Amino acid sequence: MPTLRIPTPLRPYTEGAGEIEIQAATVGGALQELLDQYPALRLHLMDEDGQLRAFVNLFLNDEDVRHLQGQQTELKADDRLMILPSIAGGVDADTQPQGLRKVDHAALRTNQAFIIALNILAYLFDLPWLAGLVMGAMLLGTLLKAPGFGFIYKHILAPLGIMKPDVLLDNPEPHRFAQGFGGVVMLGGVVALYSGLSTLGWGLVWLVIALAALNLFGGFCVGCAVYYWLGRLHLPGFGKRPPQDTVPGMRPKMGA
Amino acid sequence: MHLHIPAEVLDQIHAHGVAAYPEEGAGFLLGEVSGEIRQVVSVLPLDNAREDAARHNRYLITPQDMLRGERQAAELGLDVIGVFHSHPDHPNAPSEFDREWALPWFSYLITSVQAGKAVGSRSWRLTEDRAAFVQEEIVSE
Repeated sequence: MPTLRIPTPLRPYTEGAGEIEIQAATVGGALQELLDQYPALRLHLMDEDGQLRAFVNLFLNDEDVRHLQGQQTELKADDRLMILPSIAGGVDADTQPQGLRKVDHAALRTNQAFIIALNILAYLFDLPWLAGLVMGAMLLGTLLKAPGFGFIYKHILAPLGIMKPDVLLDNPEPHRFAQGFGGVVMLGGVVALYSGLSTLGWGLVWLVIALAALNLFGGFCVGCAVYYWLGRLHLPGFGKRPPQDTVPGMRPKMGA
Repeated sequence: MHLHIPAEVLDQIHAHGVAAYPEEGAGFLLGEVSGEIRQVVSVLPLDNAREDAARHNRYLITPQDMLRGERQAAELGLDVIGVFHSHPDHPNAPSEFDREWALPWFSYLITSVQAGKAVGSRSWRLTEDRAAFVQEEIVSE
């Protein structure tokens, strides 16, 4: 005879039974049999419309019956049917409007500060390789979906308490785009520097310094604004909209 | 209603919530129940199965996790008696979503993690009519 296994949290409703024997020939029949025998289970297994609640899964010999014939799946004598809940939870979605994510702006600001400082040092001491390092960090960060110098914040400044998290509800994508855009400008600058076009090269490096400084000190991310403007043109890949009541590119006000 | 939990196990739960921050972290509470006394003996932390953008405000424990949890508990001679999860930058009270998805009987221990620090835990149980959560006192010893 097939058996039906009851998970621990539902056993108070089956007089403690962890496994019952089933007469029915199908999964749906087994479920009905269980509910006939222990009617108090109904509230926890079925919703108001008589459908299985979202967290109730039925597994037949380690296979989800949704991948078999659902409730029509036939039962054989030695089959083992299991009720396995999936468990979900968390903060209500309406507190996270518009699909915004938590973005730690302290990591972004650390990144900007390092981009500015290292680029200025590169210019002052005429070190194109240092500008190349900044370029590498920015492009690598873009690929890894993280601020290029964010690791300094995450592994040194934050654990030591030097920088405090500043978590805002924001879209991470525009910041990534902005960094990638800056990285490409840096690439142009570094190529120019190594090609002997010193004025053009340092000009591009200073452009990146200026944009990073505007973001760090003015809270305005030009690359993010460009992202949102491209989004308004319905360009694919630029689907995010600025947080509510925020000028595109400005740092959002909403704390997470 | 009381949930007894060794201090070092509670520390372990807090550390898991901090490590998962700013996403949600979750796992099973393994222990014993006799009458109204619930004793947590150990925990089984889990990876958040949510692969999508909702990991920061949702956790999901899959049926396969549930089966693994029950088997591991059985090996230790224990039961899965509840679930712990973190609410990053939110209070440690259950949300409406928590209630809709809750199982009866289980203890739901929620840790509030604010700006990367665990600031406190409370434990809850679903009422028989599924209408609400009631708090159960955590006794950490």
